[in-house]
Amino acid sequence: MIAVNAEVLQLLLLLSAALFSLGVYGVLTRKNIIGLLIGLELMANAVNINLVAFARHQGGTAGQVFTLFTIALTVAEVAVGLALVILLHRSRRSTETDAAAQLHG
Amino acid sequence: MSHQTLALFVLLSPLVAAVVLFIVAPLRVRGPVSAGITIASTAISLGASVMLAMARMFGQSAPNVDIQAAWLPGGGKVLSTVGVYVDPVAAPMMVVVALVALCVQVYSLGYLGHEPSRDRGRYFAYHALFAFSMLGLVMAPNLLQLFLCWELVGLASYLLIGYYWTKPSAGQAALKAFWVTKFADMGLMLGLMVLFVKTGGFDWTVPPGQVLMTADAEVIAGLLFLAVVGKSAQFPMHIWLPDAMEGPTPVSALLHAATMVAAGVYLIVRAYPIFSLAPTVLTFMVYLGAFTALFAAIVAVFQDDIKKVLAFSTCSQLGYMVAALGTGSMVSGYFHLTTHAFFKALLFLTAGSLIHAVHSNSLHDMGGLWKKMKPTGVLLIIGSLALAGFPMTSGFFSKDLILEELLHAGHIVPLIAAIAAAGLTAFYMTRVVMLSLFGAPSEAAEHAHESPAVMLAPMALLGALALVGGLLHGDFAKMAGAEAAFHITPVGIIATATGLTGIAAGLWRFSPGKRAAVGSQWVSAPMRFVTWLTGNAPVDRAFALFYRRVMLTAAAGVAWFDRYIIDALINLSGWAVLKGAERFRRLQTGRPADYIYAVIAGLIALTAMGVM
Amino acid sequence: MIAMIALSLIALCVVSAGLFAVRSTNLVHSVLWLAVSLAGTSALYLMVGASFLSAIQIILYTGGVITLMLFGVMLTDRNETTKIGNPSERKRLGAVSALAVFALIASAVSSMSFTGGGSTIVHTKAIGQALLTEHLLAFEALSILLLAAMLAAIVVARRRDP
Repeated sequence: MIAVNAEVLQLLLLLSAALFSLGVYGVLTRKNIIGLLIGLELMANAVNINLVAFARHQGGTAGQVFTLFTIALTVAEVAVGLALVILLHRSRRSTETDAAAQLHG
Repeated sequence: MSHQTLALFVLLSPLVAAVVLFIVAPLRVRGPVSAGITIASTAISLGASVMLAMARMFGQSAPNVDIQAAWLPGGGKVLSTVGVYVDPVAAPMMVVVALVALCVQVYSLGYLGHEPSRDRGRYFAYHALFAFSMLGLVMAPNLLQLFLCWELVGLASYLLIGYYWTKPSAGQAALKAFWVTKFADMGLMLGLMVLFVKTGGFDWTVPPGQVLMTADAEVIAGLLFLAVVGKSAQFPMHIWLPDAMEGPTPVSALLHAATMVAAGVYLIVRAYPIFSLAPTVLTFMVYLGAFTALFAAIVAVFQDDIKKVLAFSTCSQLGYMVAALGTGSMVSGYFHLTTHAFFKALLFLTAGSLIHAVHSNSLHDMGGLWKKMKPTGVLLIIGSLALAGFPMTSGFFSKDLILEELLHAGHIVPLIAAIAAAGLTAFYMTRVVMLSLFGAPSEAAEHAHESPAVMLAPMALLGALALVGGLLHGDFAKMAGAEAAFHITPVGIIATATGLTGIAAGLWRFSPGKRAAVGSQWVSAPMRFVTWLTGNAPVDRAFALFYRRVMLTAAAGVAWFDRYIIDALINLSGWAVLKGAERFRRLQTGRPADYIYAVIAGLIALTAMGVM
Repeated sequence: MIAMIALSLIALCVVSAGLFAVRSTNLVHSVLWLAVSLAGTSALYLMVGASFLSAIQIILYTGGVITLMLFGVMLTDRNETTKIGNPSERKRLGAVSALAVFALIASAVSSMSFTGGGSTIVHTKAIGQALLTEHLLAFEALSILLLAAMLAAIVVARRRDP
């Protein structure tokens, strides 16, 4: 175990930023919806790392409990998202994001 | 009963009758029921009117009845009022309206006796509406209510002229009357607007402490006079009146001789405080009235339809009234209105009686009716004498007063025209009497029979008034606070002599023997030209030309402006919105990435704002 | 010091796996790279002393999410060799945007100076007690949310019988 001092915290935050940016990149460039979901997962994970880093930096339980909640929320999101992917695939025979672009102006 | 209650009775009983008859169809479709309701309501009105008038004439002076209810409140102020107002000016007119209306309604029982019950019901419902409107006009406490009733009277006139709605000519005549008077009514409306702007009210008297500039008074009076020209059938808007004879004869007697056409004259009488401030308009009235009097009298000489003779005669007599009012003498014009209402209604009713007997309007289908219809004949002669101004009849007094006033005011040319018109009036009435009553009876006249008593009784009542109505002239003078007692003057003698000459010429020209010689072709070729020139055709044509050239062109211009300027602006704004939306909707691409770009752009922008 | 190096190595692993996850042209590979990244994160948690969360991360993410995603891929893409790739016209703009975001956050992080930092150990027992006492309402609400998500997923993905 390693104590989360200022240096470690900085490292973790930078890691989180990098992961988040990769998520952004994935969301922006992927055409496949599952690819897009992967990007989203990376972003959520980056957020979780942030939370944990601060929680360990500050001590106490609240931060970790909150992280537990966000993890659970992400799982719920993925479950619903994948259900939508299956539905979309069934109705459009495609999992491309452009297949769901009917609301364009 | 207090005078307030009486005044309300005068106005409300015809209103109740009209409302009941218009709403309750089962009553309306039954002719006798409808007639009963209408006649009863008019009788109540007449009784109350007489009581109100008696207390204001013959030297008595009861206080004015003035019941007003606020109307059109707005912005803490009351725009106007409605109500009843009875003063010495309104009282005689109320009696005239109610009396003639009652006579005509009773007469109609006989005249329209053969009509289907349903149609008679409708007819009497219209009569109730007319009685209410006309009395409302007479008793109006201000010019705004007068205007409303003025329009209602126009509506009643339209409905009654078009009573024989299956006849296309009746429908056309009704429309013509409606549109011509409506055109003129614009003057009344605009005049009221100007009046309101200048004085802040619709009163016919300028409120104390306010001064109406002469120029403003001229504008207002001129606009009001335009409405008078239309309603009282002055040249050139007289064209609707002869056509209005398509209506039943009793209607002509009531609306187009005695009361409605006199509404224009009554408007001048009512708004005299304003008119008296407008000298130019008054002078114009003198000349236009005198011209109409002469012109219509000339035309009347050449008419073969007995009702058209009387119609043009009405124009002519209204011209007298307008000219009289123009001289600044309210009393003489108003008095002639009253006497004229009696004898002209009488003449129309007798004409109706003759028409009823021979089933034709043409004078040539009559003749020799004296033997068959003595009472009608006597009444026709009485009416004719009164109209011709035969000494001691009512027309004699009132016409004389007018001529005197014309001389008094120094209007010599109109005076000569009026005297000439008086001679012509005597001539054409003698012609009517001679052609219809004497000479060889025509085929139709062979089977003629006298009208029933229900028609003769109202005629007799009006005949009596036509004879003795002139004796009221002193009371009329007192009513207006003037002391215009009757004098025998040179002008009166000349006019009477002219009238007698006209009668003599008529007797000679249309004596049975002479008439047999010339037959109906009594008009020589030059006279035919005069007939054409003075008939309705040229004026009608001028109006049609005005309509086509001016009105339609103006309308086309307005339509063009509306289509290519107003509509174009509206379409342009719609087009601009549409085009803008075309551009903006592209923002919604539907691709998730684009929305995230927007989020990132926003993030960067916010950070930039925070840094700066 | 050794711990610091180990932490950095794990962080490098996590970032690299993330990069492969968003760059891989094979969707199945992409999902598996995500699994590596998430497992690395779990190791990270373990290292900084959040052992409970580390376990949760493995169970929920690597166990649940990755399995779900693989199922999703298998159910929709019958052809396993389908190349997804990143369309070239999107790559440049995406990369610029991602770099901008990274620069933004990194500059913010580096401009801040953190102090202190304890080495207090938080036991799982304490977390459990906090969950069921202090955060009970949120915990129950989360349960309901998960139930709703489960039902929603079933209802949405269910094949409707005609």
